[in-house]
Amino acid sequence: MVSENFNIEAPNYLSKESEVLIYARQDSQCIDCFQAFLPVHYRYHRPHSKDGETFIVVSNPDLLMYCDQEFPILKCWAQSKVAAPCALKNKDICQWNNMKYKSVHKNVTLQVPVGLTIHTTLVCSVTLLITILCSTLILVAVFKYGHFSL
Amino acid sequence: MVPTKPWGEWFLSPPVTPAGLFGVAFLARVALVFYGVFQDRTLLVRYTDIDYHVFTDAARFVTEGRFPYLRATYRYTPLLAWLLTPNIYLSELFGKFLFISCDLLTAFLAFRLLLLRRLGRRQACGYCAFWLFNPLPMAVSSRGNADSLVASLVLATLYLLEKRLVAAAAVCYGVAVHMKIYPVTYALPIALHLLPERGRDPGPNPLRAGVCALLKRLCSRAVLLFGAVAGLTFAALSVGFYYQYGWEFLEHTYLYHLTRRDIRHNFSPYFYMLYLTAESPWSFSLGIAAFLPQGILLLAVSLAYSRDLVFCCFLHTSIFVTFNKVCTSQYFLWYLCLLPLVMPRLRIPWKRAVVLLMLWFAGQALWLAPAYVLEFQGKNTFLFIWLAGLYFLLINCSILIQIISYYKEEPSAERLKHD
Repeated sequence: MVSENFNIEAPNYLSKESEVLIYARQDSQCIDCFQAFLPVHYRYHRPHSKDGETFIVVSNPDLLMYCDQEFPILKCWAQSKVAAPCALKNKDICQWNNMKYKSVHKNVTLQVPVGLTIHTTLVCSVTLLITILCSTLILVAVFKYGHFSL
Repeated sequence: MVPTKPWGEWFLSPPVTPAGLFGVAFLARVALVFYGVFQDRTLLVRYTDIDYHVFTDAARFVTEGRFPYLRATYRYTPLLAWLLTPNIYLSELFGKFLFISCDLLTAFLAFRLLLLRRLGRRQACGYCAFWLFNPLPMAVSSRGNADSLVASLVLATLYLLEKRLVAAAAVCYGVAVHMKIYPVTYALPIALHLLPERGRDPGPNPLRAGVCALLKRLCSRAVLLFGAVAGLTFAALSVGFYYQYGWEFLEHTYLYHLTRRDIRHNFSPYFYMLYLTAESPWSFSLGIAAFLPQGILLLAVSLAYSRDLVFCCFLHTSIFVTFNKVCTSQYFLWYLCLLPLVMPRLRIPWKRAVVLLMLWFAGQALWLAPAYVLEFQGKNTFLFIWLAGLYFLLINCSILIQIISYYKEEPSAERLKHD
């Protein structure tokens, strides 16, 4: 799998789209079958005011094929318009054919949990209250048991 | 009424010698490293931390004469990549062996420090066993995290200061700050610790005379020596690497850590507040409001405990980690490495200590449960994570207050002179 460098920690609204190239492997059990797995980890999305979840539609990927000697070469090459590295660790650029295909699922939808903005006032006030309380208690202990001498 | 038993009673004479104890600890860590190799090859969940692969890749770039920053997410000093170049030349396990050695060095320095504080050999051994057989540092080092490097540098600084080798301590301190920024908070306690004794007669104007006297004492030989040597070490490392790697070095080693805004869930009580207000106009003021308790407490602790530098640094780091805007379990090591040095003078009843320890673990478990549901099952548990974070803060604070109230400083009235 090849992808550009990107900031893993950035939330969704601060990150740009990036391209991921997956070189599918030939399936050992099925001739003419290829498989590729892409693990997905959600980024943080913008908080919502109502729902605790936001929906993302993952549209189908482009399927690129490289013309091989077995294919009718000229017809295949005529349709190869996409430029991408030839192989996983290869820097050479080859022309790939963007194939049309029928997908099993129409679209994949992901449900990403997000924060609720109606909580903002409560969260801010309670957090600051408790942190100020805790720091005051520690400060009192330090004044009580510490030796202030300069 | 039952008399309170101090910790010391429990650590009197463990049946082995220090060498035996350290040997067993070393073997345990080596076993974990090889177990890690096994787990990496067989199970889906890797034992080795992803950071270790980042270090190794960066070291590979260095062996090819290129920038270690070509490796994405390598946000450390180039010194670490240089240190790990034997990962490429010898074996990929070299780095892990380096880290577990630093782990043992940390325990050894703690042992020597305890001996300097006039503790018996067996007793000192018992306290070091807390670090040597603690699963957290064992797991962290054998997984390939570099935190033990900084821990050993911090302990070396404290040990050398106790032996009054100020210049050597300053060199260790400079390297420690170069590797991780958090030791920079120790600058004030160290400076106050190295101050010479106060003069007797304040004169007609006590406040003005006091401030002048303080400034004069701050310009004492020890403080200036420490400041100059530490500053020179840090500057030499920074300038050297800047000359070699340019702006990228500054950006990844220092600036990234200072300006980082990570709003993903973590132990910090501020996490949900910062996530919800990340794009609001209040986010800057809230950031300052979150920094103030931390800053004020660190200042107060420095002024109150500068005489006992080890306890001061322990409190410093605990407060820094507890009130920080980002807190992960790796940060706990930063103050746990100082705990064996604090324990001898901690006159806390053991029952209370056990209860506090259980509460500390319970707090982490209460946080990990909703965090697991959020990360692996995708359900919205943000409120629970936030509440667990607040609860963890309350537990940490009560532990800190108990430690402060039960700590008995050294009874001798004279201050160590460093002139």
